[in-house]
Amino acid sequence: MKKIYILMGVASILFSCNKLDEKPTSVIVKEQFFKTQADAVAGVTAVYGELVSDGTEQPLYGREINFLTDMTTDDLSAGPSAINPNVRALSSITYTTTNDRVQVLWRQLYTGISRANVAIDQIPTISFDPATRTRLVLEAKFLRALFYFDLVRLWGDVPLVLHDPTSTDLNSLKTNRSPAADVYKQIIADLTDAQSLPATYTGADIGRATAGAAKTLLLKVYLTQKDWTNAVAKAKEIINGPYGYGLVTNYGDLFNKATKNGKEHIFSAQFDSNGGLGNSSVLMGAAFTGFGVSVPADIPADSSVYKQFSANDTRRAVTFYTSLTNPSTGVVKVYPTFYFGKYVDRTVLLTSNQSGINFPVLRYADVLLMYSEALNELSGATADAYSGINQVRNRANTGDLTPGLSQAAFRDSLYAERRREFVQEAQRWFDLARTGKLVEAVSKVATKTNVSAKNYLFPIPQSEISINAGLTQNTGYTN
Amino acid sequence: MEIYLHAKFLYLFRTFKVFKQSAILLLILVPFAAFSQTGSQSVINSKLYGKVVDATNKQPIPGVVVRIKGTTHAVATNTDGEFNFVTGQKFPYTLLVSFIGYDKVELIANGSPVQIELKPAINQLTDVVVVGYGTQKKSDITGSISSVPKENLNQVSSSVDNLLRGAAPGVNVTQSSGQPGASASIRIRGGNSITGGNEPLYVIDGFPVYNDNASVSTGSGSGAGVNALSTINPSDIESIEILKDASATAIYGSRGANGVILISTKKGRKGTSDVSYGAYYGQQRITKTLPLLDATQWANLRNDILASTGQAPSFTADQIAALGKGSDWQDAAFRHAPVQNHELSFTGGDERSRFAISGNYFNQDGIVLNTNFKRYSLRANYERDISSKFKIGLNSTTSYSTSTGAATNTGSASLSSPNLITNIITTSPVVPIKDQSGNYNLVNPYTSVPSNPINDLLSVINKTNINRSLGNFYGEYTLLPGLKAKVSLGADLLSTKQNYFAGPNTANGYAVVGIASVGNATVNTWLNENTLTYDKVINDKHFINILAGYTTQKSTGEAATAGSKNFVSSATTYNSLQSGSQTSTPTSSAYSWALNSYLARINYSFLHKYNFTVSGRADGSSRFGAGNKWGYFPSAGFSWNAADEDFIKNVKSISSLKLRLSAGETGNQEIGQYQSLATLSPVNYDFNSVLITGFAANRLSNPDLKWEKTKQYDAGVDLGLLDNRINLTLDAYYKKTNDLLLSIPIPLSTGYSTSLQNIGSVQNKGLEVGINTENISGGAFTWKTSLVYALNRNKVLSLGASQTSFFPAVPNSTLGILQPVNIKVGLPLGTFWGYKTAGIFQSAAEIASSPTLDTKANTKPGDRKYVDVNGDGLITAADKTNLGSSQPKFTGSFTNSFSYRHVDLLVFFQGAYGNKIYNALRQQLEITNLSTNAYASIADRWTPTNPSNDVARATNSPVAQMSDRYIENGSYLRLKNVVLGYTFNGELLNKIRAKQLRIYVSAQNLATITKYKGYDPEVNSFEQNNTSQGIDFGAYPNYKTFLVGLNVTF
Repeated sequence: MKKIYILMGVASILFSCNKLDEKPTSVIVKEQFFKTQADAVAGVTAVYGELVSDGTEQPLYGREINFLTDMTTDDLSAGPSAINPNVRALSSITYTTTNDRVQVLWRQLYTGISRANVAIDQIPTISFDPATRTRLVLEAKFLRALFYFDLVRLWGDVPLVLHDPTSTDLNSLKTNRSPAADVYKQIIADLTDAQSLPATYTGADIGRATAGAAKTLLLKVYLTQKDWTNAVAKAKEIINGPYGYGLVTNYGDLFNKATKNGKEHIFSAQFDSNGGLGNSSVLMGAAFTGFGVSVPADIPADSSVYKQFSANDTRRAVTFYTSLTNPSTGVVKVYPTFYFGKYVDRTVLLTSNQSGINFPVLRYADVLLMYSEALNELSGATADAYSGINQVRNRANTGDLTPGLSQAAFRDSLYAERRREFVQEAQRWFDLARTGKLVEAVSKVATKTNVSAKNYLFPIPQSEISINAGLTQNTGYTN
Repeated sequence: MEIYLHAKFLYLFRTFKVFKQSAILLLILVPFAAFSQTGSQSVINSKLYGKVVDATNKQPIPGVVVRIKGTTHAVATNTDGEFNFVTGQKFPYTLLVSFIGYDKVELIANGSPVQIELKPAINQLTDVVVVGYGTQKKSDITGSISSVPKENLNQVSSSVDNLLRGAAPGVNVTQSSGQPGASASIRIRGGNSITGGNEPLYVIDGFPVYNDNASVSTGSGSGAGVNALSTINPSDIESIEILKDASATAIYGSRGANGVILISTKKGRKGTSDVSYGAYYGQQRITKTLPLLDATQWANLRNDILASTGQAPSFTADQIAALGKGSDWQDAAFRHAPVQNHELSFTGGDERSRFAISGNYFNQDGIVLNTNFKRYSLRANYERDISSKFKIGLNSTTSYSTSTGAATNTGSASLSSPNLITNIITTSPVVPIKDQSGNYNLVNPYTSVPSNPINDLLSVINKTNINRSLGNFYGEYTLLPGLKAKVSLGADLLSTKQNYFAGPNTANGYAVVGIASVGNATVNTWLNENTLTYDKVINDKHFINILAGYTTQKSTGEAATAGSKNFVSSATTYNSLQSGSQTSTPTSSAYSWALNSYLARINYSFLHKYNFTVSGRADGSSRFGAGNKWGYFPSAGFSWNAADEDFIKNVKSISSLKLRLSAGETGNQEIGQYQSLATLSPVNYDFNSVLITGFAANRLSNPDLKWEKTKQYDAGVDLGLLDNRINLTLDAYYKKTNDLLLSIPIPLSTGYSTSLQNIGSVQNKGLEVGINTENISGGAFTWKTSLVYALNRNKVLSLGASQTSFFPAVPNSTLGILQPVNIKVGLPLGTFWGYKTAGIFQSAAEIASSPTLDTKANTKPGDRKYVDVNGDGLITAADKTNLGSSQPKFTGSFTNSFSYRHVDLLVFFQGAYGNKIYNALRQQLEITNLSTNAYASIADRWTPTNPSNDVARATNSPVAQMSDRYIENGSYLRLKNVVLGYTFNGELLNKIRAKQLRIYVSAQNLATITKYKGYDPEVNSFEQNNTSQGIDFGAYPNYKTFLVGLNVTF
């Protein structure tokens, strides 16, 4: 009998030691991370990752930013196959505080900021090669500035969050809006630091933020703030600096995966097909998996966007397509009208979300046009002002701008040039907003006459206000 | 006591530490040593011979225990009902004779031999039922426990969950698809949880199993999930008890909130030795096909769509006239499919051991071409009394099942992506099935990829193979009279391999020149249970039963997938991934969880009249935050057998009456692993076309995460009338789940969207009625009826302070963007949300004067009209409203069984009322476009000459809107099962030396009354997904079965 006692005792004890602590072996836990150089690199990679991937939605530079910055302008409209009514509302400028695309972009920008905050706070606590460590922190600062610059332009005053939360208590997670001036101060501080980034990279580091990228973004910030003096100075630093920037001869090479990261690409959201991160922005072109089934989700707002190009403008055939070839069957499909083509990767049309074409966030043509614009605002249409815009025009085979224009006429020509140059590059709304021409330009489109002064800012997502009553709404939007 | 023993075990363990390695071996060997030490015999005084027979038919009853009162001397009857007893006593003495299903007999034996007649028990309250960690007299039970009737267990099914349909009030079973071996979703008294699991806990011979179909999915397969329970042979099941209220389930603590299903498998009986063979063979066919456009209608539609954008027609009148009906793809894909089952079992026992051994072969072809489910299983149950005090036993089953499924990828975005079931439906009827030389035609001018859905069905390989071994081994020792200690060790070893191959001639494989993948998943679960039970009767008045125990369970899972594309040859299919020139990203994962528990229960009964149960369990789970690992789950129950009171005894018509009350708290730990931790996910980036892996946190950690707790109150009545010819069970309950684990939205400015917190609550309240009547009995003709009725009302009470509603993610992007389901305070879970429709715009004037969804310029006569619910003159998202819930208002079943001499007949109806189904398949089929077929209703579409107020005009791919048009009434009444049997009589049996022989014919799903327009109202495209129930997005259709069967026992 004693033996049985013993046995039962042994049996019960054998299994009684199960530990209840969770030690995951297939996932990494935050507390175990940011201990090594590799962790630091991976943490910064994740900040870049926000540019091109999102678990559930189209990523930031995979059509999401275009919803707010192109779909709401005289360039783009929602096509008949755009299922989401929120997309249609942006297209018809009837979006409200509950628009899900507005909320998604807000989320994506803050997600990127959060990852950058973690990197900026954590990386200095790891000991490894100081040069690399400094570089990684500056890359994160560049990206944080990029995200905040979009936020402050789209929404005005926004919550300025610079550190990761330390608790899940709801009250501690709430942050109210900071004045736009404070947000700009932070952006300029981050970019000023980021100017110490390397001028160039080699190998698999190509594509990281550079000193030139920081300066270009800073130039854009000054231009947006109408700080023409600083803008001109910054543009000169880029144009005359040791960065090797220049315009590529063939405009189409800007949107070709074989010629990505060329001398004109200052900073791009990097995509790759087949095993890499493909850009779902193929949706901006067409629903290619069903050739001939439907028209694309994004279509030209009206013919004005097409007609602004002269016949000899080499940009027109890159910006639009009217036919495509099925790469499997070789059948050419001709469309009854023109659609947007910059991100349509002709080699992977049959597989959705696989465009390997980079999205140019900052490119040298923009520097030249900003340089011309700032000079014109500062001292009129000088020869230097002409030199920038003319380089861009000549590359497009449209010849020099009419000489001797007044400051106002030069300004108009420059704005028109920017529209032609940057179709579908998430520039149009920002340009219209900062130049005060949003209502005037957009209301010309028959389906967009709802545009009004309130549209100079987007509504704070209603879901944010529901959680934090301390957030105020932008003028003209009712909750 | 429990703690003291535990300390003692600990001491012993330290003493025997050196033997730890071989402890299990010891455990097996030493009982035999113990056996050899016992075996002394008592002094012979008197011998007693006798026979036990059934009082009604005078047939001998084997396996009856005859005991002498006041001693431990007992024997069992042999196959002829005879017993032979060396008593050690002098005459006269009192014999106690008891057997399950018969009234207990107490008689005085004055001499040998004796004949004892046992009367079949009529009063159900005297039965013994299985409860958590033991058995209990039915009369003493305080909780709400339903036993599944034998008739339900005899149904033909690939898995046990399908047997529960209509079997007991409060158990709602919805099968997710008609694919052989596919899963069912089960809700006992409604769903408690929003993000956690809502499936009940299964306890198979004492081994708790949560039926998570994810455990047999690697990610490599494609299609309806394989049911983890289909690995268990349903014919091995002896009985199923369903524990519903807290008094019954609290002993399962953190896993009890969704109800518990106790499954006991067949055991051998003393003094018998039976060989049984059972088999059936049947044919299955589809219950219904969908009405679709024929070729002529489709060609006309295509011309109309082209005309809507001013394009030229693609078919001339002559061409259309020549088309006729065209291809019937459904007819080509569906077939009459055979199903067969064979089972051989050996059961028996002698004085000291009982055994049941069985083997099973089940083979079911699906009604869709090239789909199948096969199972080979073995079971061995063995029990031996090593001595009068020590008993050991083993319950084990091993099975291999293999499932060949149609790839129905519900996660894919559109109907035209590789979902074979929807491909069958959507392929244009003008496309021929076979070409002129009789081969499958691969040319379809309306798709970008040349393929043929029938060829896909036949050539795509989509296989799941599952090995499962489930068993436990136990020893039980009587320490003192009435005090028993039981130790059991169990294991559930589940391993799955999934194989997928789609060749270059298939829709999925075309663009990538063949795609193959394989996946492996293993889930191993270990269990150790240690219980002490103490039974004591004081003065024949106070009946006390005490249970205390400690259990610990640990589970580890691992999975991996690999795949490649671009194959030169299809000959190697998935067996040579290295032959593909392009590899897919491989995946692997692992997890583990552990649960340590202390449990205790006290049953006290005074004269079997006033009964009390108090139980409690403390569970420590690895899944919760560091500060909240332990949860405590108490319950209390009371029942009163009022019929034993004098004032009711005098009421002749009342033969039994019991009132029950219970209250308690149970939990839910099914939230997945690692939810309290801030885990990082890979977030990659291509630096100059080189993919680099980054990591970012998905969420904030929440060390305060704790259990969802469900408080449940139950009041019940069990009433027997007219000598228990009418039995009525009535239960009313109220359940409130608090601390719901919810992903609540947090400010996006934090960089995170949600945080999993214990916020929110849901309530369920309901009423359950079970009525069993013997309408005609006693003669050659008998007729019994049983009626089951249950209603449950579910309501979300709170979703935390920051929100009152949210749209849960639907695991499909096409449907997800429509946000079909809204979880809203005040409404039931599974509420569909969308626009109300108001017919079709007939004129431009009507458009001008009505609010429109799209701009007025874009709206044309023939477009659908929506109701401006909030009256603001616009159709916006604010006009979306409650369109009904996927939860039924009530469910029920109605069974009649008749017998006349040797013939028996069972007719079983079952149904649900008031539930809504979102027919997303029909919605997709009404999106007219130039390439895929449409629902037949489209033939009657609006045209200027056919001013339909029901079907919109033909346009190219109109935008889908969530509206009441596609929310359909899911109520149904189904003739689920009809069985006609014949049991042979003595003469033939003697000739073939059989004890029993019965043959039967049966029809299942013979008729269904429903208004639902899809294949079948029992549908759940998203299977166990909690928040997406009642959505039909192209599931494998249901079928009816006709079969013949035979059971013979030798």
